[in-house]
Amino acid sequence: MTEMPMESKVDSKITKKLCEIVGEKNATDYKHIRYAYSYDLSFVKPKLPDYIVMPTSVEQVQAIMKFANQEKISVTPFTAGTNIGGLCIPENGGILLDMKRMNNIIRIDEESHYAIIEPGVSHAKFASALAKYNLRFSWPVGPPSASTSSCAISHGIGGLSGRYGLNSEEITSMEVVLPTGELVRVGSCAIQEDAWHSCLPLPRMDGLFTGWLGTTGVITKIGLRVHPTPPILKVFTASTETIGQMASYLRTLGNYEICDDLTGVSWWLSQVPIPYPYKPKPEGVPEWISFATTFSWTQKEKEAREEIWKMVVDEETKKGSSLKETVYPEEALKARTQLPSQIVGSTKNYTKQGGAGISWPGTFTPVNKWEPVYEEWKKILIGRNLSPSVRVTNYRGVHYGMLRAMIPFPKKDPASIENARQAIVECLKVDLDNGGIPYKPPVDFGLEINKRAHPGYVELMKRVKNMLDPNDIMNTGKLAL
Amino acid sequence: MKWDIPSLEELEDAVWKCTACGNCKTTYDFGPPPTFGEICPAGVEFGFDGNMASKGKIAFARGILDGQLEWTEEFVNDIYRCTICGGCQNQCELDHKPVIPEIMEAIRRKAVEDGVGPMPTQKVIAQSLRSYDNPYQGPRRVRTDWTRPFKKAKNPIKNIMKENAPILFYVGCTGAFNLPVRNFPVATASIFQKLGIDFGILGENEICCGSTAMRLGDVDEFKRVAETNMKTFKDLHDNHGVETIVTSCAGCFRAMKKDYSLSDEYEDYMGGLKIIHTTNFLFNYFKQGKIKFTKEVPWKVTYHDPCHTGRHLIDYKIDEDGSQQWKGSYLGKNEDNCLYDIPREILKAIPGIEFVEMERIRSNSYCCGGGGGVMTGYGEWAVKNAGLRVQEAMDTGAQKMVSICPFCHFNLNEGSKRLQSDMKVYDLVELIDLAL
Repeated sequence: MTEMPMESKVDSKITKKLCEIVGEKNATDYKHIRYAYSYDLSFVKPKLPDYIVMPTSVEQVQAIMKFANQEKISVTPFTAGTNIGGLCIPENGGILLDMKRMNNIIRIDEESHYAIIEPGVSHAKFASALAKYNLRFSWPVGPPSASTSSCAISHGIGGLSGRYGLNSEEITSMEVVLPTGELVRVGSCAIQEDAWHSCLPLPRMDGLFTGWLGTTGVITKIGLRVHPTPPILKVFTASTETIGQMASYLRTLGNYEICDDLTGVSWWLSQVPIPYPYKPKPEGVPEWISFATTFSWTQKEKEAREEIWKMVVDEETKKGSSLKETVYPEEALKARTQLPSQIVGSTKNYTKQGGAGISWPGTFTPVNKWEPVYEEWKKILIGRNLSPSVRVTNYRGVHYGMLRAMIPFPKKDPASIENARQAIVECLKVDLDNGGIPYKPPVDFGLEINKRAHPGYVELMKRVKNMLDPNDIMNTGKLAL
Repeated sequence: MKWDIPSLEELEDAVWKCTACGNCKTTYDFGPPPTFGEICPAGVEFGFDGNMASKGKIAFARGILDGQLEWTEEFVNDIYRCTICGGCQNQCELDHKPVIPEIMEAIRRKAVEDGVGPMPTQKVIAQSLRSYDNPYQGPRRVRTDWTRPFKKAKNPIKNIMKENAPILFYVGCTGAFNLPVRNFPVATASIFQKLGIDFGILGENEICCGSTAMRLGDVDEFKRVAETNMKTFKDLHDNHGVETIVTSCAGCFRAMKKDYSLSDEYEDYMGGLKIIHTTNFLFNYFKQGKIKFTKEVPWKVTYHDPCHTGRHLIDYKIDEDGSQQWKGSYLGKNEDNCLYDIPREILKAIPGIEFVEMERIRSNSYCCGGGGGVMTGYGEWAVKNAGLRVQEAMDTGAQKMVSICPFCHFNLNEGSKRLQSDMKVYDLVELIDLAL
């Protein structure tokens, strides 16, 4: 049995008011319904919200926020709850604002390549709609039912991030309800109601709502860049004996900026599923495998990309690298290149043997720090009988380096959950001390980040948070400030 | 007779295999091109994550097993607000996938055991089963009303208890008692007669298959009728020459094929019998060239895959001994038993038929909304949901919908009426009969 979610106090007057705002069918305080929102895939301890509300309009969101602000009730925004940082588990009870009913694709601009969507639009719905225009988005390795807008505002990443950067960099405009209930817009739609094409060259006020873990406002519409889909896919697959050689290969290939996704995975992560508990890698098998996807419009373009890749391989070989062209496991490759994917989205590859739990130290770590951090992570994870199932990825050429370890664990067993939690937090500390930064951090990570942060950074965060959310009602406690 | 019908506690390990990833909430296929659709009728109607797909129902199971959730009127209501259609199951990739409907029904069984389930309107079904051996509160004599035109035409249908025949046409309660669906058995028997098939019916001796009781969690009532039926079937096999049981009802078919097999004496009673859905049965004649369509049916039609003849018949491959992956792991699925291609093939062979597909088909078919006791417990919602499916059919430009389940047939026609649409739903046997 896992730890029980904390019981909460429900006030029927508040439920009644919420029902008045959204209608009786869309608000509830029934415990069995609240229970379904009390946990997710991660190690974060279950906690019960007090009320669940499903708004269907911007006006309803505003009314809910005004009421919650007036009554100082915490509000946790929720779209699909599929992040693995416990971000939608309410730290302080209160209202869980389930946005799934606001799920319209408002516009797909096939000429200017952007779309306007509501927060409840899933990757599956968006992908299906975009495909009609031969357009695509940078789909993450999340469930197809997950929310595209939540991925974007949480600095999510996807299959095009090697080329275009984080999904938050694809945001072109936003409509937001502030914690105090006012409606604001950022980006071009703030100047002309129907113009959703760009956040620039205005001041980057979208930054007030991205990466804040749902603590500064409720996105009600978002503009996102979308991209054409070239017809020819080529996946370069290679292996190396060490993380250092893999980092060098990915950096060199990244310099040419020809790949949509440029990723290396440790042997343990390439297994379907991740071995749980830890098992040693077989002798003679390379420790690192890489896939790099590149799309072309013509055969000649593809051949030119292949030529570049061969140059990279030659360059690395001259350095004495063990780099070899290799075969990436078929199912794993499919899961990586056919996104959104139910297979990878279900975390099947990750959790099956572990037993339904998954968490990560997910970080942005520069490429030149991958080797020292990985070697430390390996010691920590193997020491706790967990597989060092690690992924490294370059984003936007070589501008960002991502480093994360997917750690499965059985959700039924509290001791195993705690073992995974401790291992992950230990890994995170190593990464932070090497200059890495975690993304979508659960509170445990936030505490470690803030311990190390410049005092001015923490102070500025507090001021911004206080300016937008004077009563600290939005996803209370998630920033660990 | 001993039954291997698992309790919720016995399914606890499976419950804990759910990651709560939410894959189950929508149907999606990479393609290319990618396709998307809503898959959970309860999720569409009620929306909260607890109501939504297997993620929500597993949360209920987990809460019960955790000791966190106790029965309340609203909680019981929500465990019955599910059509047990298996749409969510088809999206799942995890090890509990093969038993997702079993978990949902185990929750209901627990509710019944604890004296809180099913819902009051559904209790009427249970009472009717006990009193009349059918869920429609229909007197036994009404069971054969549909046979009158045959008697009048001097082509009476054999009572198999009195006259031996190799084939038992098991009519099912819906076809016998539900007036709007009564053309099902009529068309089936008409086709059989046109093809010269030697068959009989149980008539007033037929009793419910128990599917409805099973879906509602009333395991005692299910066992009672199932055991009675199996004994009857064995007697028919041993003493009346019956080799094959043909049924037009998707629910009966599923019950006899899957639910009855949970008995430890299934092979003893049913081993010598072939259970076959009418569609499959007629397809064999069609393949042998014994069905020759002579008349045109000039309709543009689309086909609705019922849950009970579709994804409910998927065989899940499980690593039972751990030799391939690990013990209990889900390895894959086999859809060979699902009636997907056969009805389409027959439809396309009928002269004059123009066939078009809806978006959500085969294993990703959108449930009509009538299953799992929902039509009885929540009639208004069932019909509203059917309207959504009818709309999807209308969007294809089809003039008629065709299906092979009396529940779907009835509910979809009601949904069409709700939309004030001209769309009519037919059973495949009705079209075959028209074309013969």
